[in-house]
Amino acid sequence: MDITLLTSSIIFGLSMGSIFFLMAIGLSLCFGLMRIISLDQLLYYSLGAYITYSIVTVTGSFWCGAALGMVGAALASLIVERFIFRKIYERDITFSMITSFGILLAGVGGIKYVWGLVPRPVAAPITRQVAFLHTNIPEYRIIIIVIAFLVYVAIWAFLNKTIIGKAIRAGIEDVEKVEGLGINVYRLFTLTFIISGALSGLAGALYAPIIMVGPDMGLEIIAFVFMVVIIGGLGSIKGTMVSALIVGQVISLGSVVYAPLAKMAPFAIMLLILLIKPTGLYGSKLLKR
Amino acid sequence: MGRLVKNWSGILVAFFLLALMRLFLPVPFATEVLIFAIYTMACNFLLGRVGLLSFGQPAYLAVGAYFTGLYLSYWGSNPYMGILAGIVGSAVFCLIVGPFFVRLRSDYFALVNLALCVIIYFLVEKVLMGITHGDEGLSFLMNMSSTPILDLGNQKDFFIFTFLVTLFVWIFCKYTDNSVYGAACMATKMNEDRMIFLGYSTFRVRWSAFVIANTMAGLAGSLYAVWFGYVSPDMSAPARAADVVVVTILGGVGTLYGPLAGSFAYIAMKDLISSLISNWELFIGLLLVFIMLAGERGIWGSLEPVIKKISLKRKMESPTKT
Repeated sequence: MDITLLTSSIIFGLSMGSIFFLMAIGLSLCFGLMRIISLDQLLYYSLGAYITYSIVTVTGSFWCGAALGMVGAALASLIVERFIFRKIYERDITFSMITSFGILLAGVGGIKYVWGLVPRPVAAPITRQVAFLHTNIPEYRIIIIVIAFLVYVAIWAFLNKTIIGKAIRAGIEDVEKVEGLGINVYRLFTLTFIISGALSGLAGALYAPIIMVGPDMGLEIIAFVFMVVIIGGLGSIKGTMVSALIVGQVISLGSVVYAPLAKMAPFAIMLLILLIKPTGLYGSKLLKR
Repeated sequence: MGRLVKNWSGILVAFFLLALMRLFLPVPFATEVLIFAIYTMACNFLLGRVGLLSFGQPAYLAVGAYFTGLYLSYWGSNPYMGILAGIVGSAVFCLIVGPFFVRLRSDYFALVNLALCVIIYFLVEKVLMGITHGDEGLSFLMNMSSTPILDLGNQKDFFIFTFLVTLFVWIFCKYTDNSVYGAACMATKMNEDRMIFLGYSTFRVRWSAFVIANTMAGLAGSLYAVWFGYVSPDMSAPARAADVVVVTILGGVGTLYGPLAGSFAYIAMKDLISSLISNWELFIGLLLVFIMLAGERGIWGSLEPVIKKISLKRKMESPTKT
């Protein structure tokens, strides 16, 4: 294999893995703390991308659009959490899955209603390329990787260094004890849900210039996000990062080898890992239901 | 004899209503209700009996449809053999993927199935482009030969055939419900540890239920394929993944008449609403959220207590009269 091709496809895979990581971390955090599977994260992802598209066409500033997309996604997640998830935290896990799928479908329908069915392009904010090991790499992809890395560090610092983050980590271990200590867990739930929604919105906003923004974009990425979450194990941040990197690399290196099978390869890896360890790489065995 | 009538009276009434429906409603509508009822019964078997929630039912529907479609396009022309090919194909497919899937925890199971649904979509749309013609789909309406007794190319005969198949599937569901196997399934759903303690292999119970239910979904898929004379990757579209779960819950999970009531309500709503507004997804999503928040009992689940009350009242009254 050509060295230049290899470098560029590794960078490509890393940037794709970064997007998957930003998406999957929301699902993972929500499962870890609230024990819900929040499929509506994919709605916030599309919403972030669409808001970015609108802001870019109006003002021309991509970063402003991305920031507002993140805020919009966070607001949407706040509303959904307040009015729907508040009522179903105590219920069975499949219950939250069905309800959030309903929210996702309704939201996608709403997006189709507002923005129409036609996929829209978003202009890339940076078109410059950097020379690296005899290849030209788009600078924008490197920025995506840097942002995802910063988010990982920020989440890690938040969960390990701040008192609220420590409360969330304690909640992942045992919600009832945290409640017993006099901490309002519902406020933690809301906070975690908003963080997840905002990160999904950020992922959508960052991915928008690379792909076309369409109403079905959430359903297109859904399979890969699930594979990331399942391979990494639900509820583990570290596992999510590792598996996002694996899936990103498998897709991009696989498309160099044989393009049609590249999108199938992560599925095969997922089956293999589930065969060895049914809870994913870093998933805990505690939560048997 | 009396006991037999008592056991099966419900079914007779239900299917009498369905046959009556044929008289007053257009044939395509009645046929779609029946096929969708089979599809929903499959989901109901999985969710209501064994407690496995799957968002990947369109995958199994598409597997059945594509086996039928491939058989009718490349090998044979007899639609009955095509349906048989669909059933056998999806049974084999489920036997292969089953052991991977049923070991998983319920949340993983739902997600893995959704991933499978997307993968099947990719597979028929891109990877197997040479055989399945990608987005264009396989069209084999002209390939089907007419058969002597029930000509499946004929809409009216096809309705009768579908009616008989639905009746058979329903009776099968009812029979399994009353058998030891049905009890084992229910027990696996309710308390897996106790089942293991009693010496049952819950893995085998789940695997067999998985195969039975998804073969039923495959059967619905091959009926769709023969009915349209056409299959396309849209059958496995992930956007449709929740529909059947919605209908199962709409009808009432774990009930026998639920799938029939649910699929009737769903197809009727779909036809009415899609003629009014194009935005069908918005409505079904909101409906799903609403049903879940309202208490997830569904149409039959809400009707059943009322019907029981009425029949109980009649029983209370009848001895005093005679």
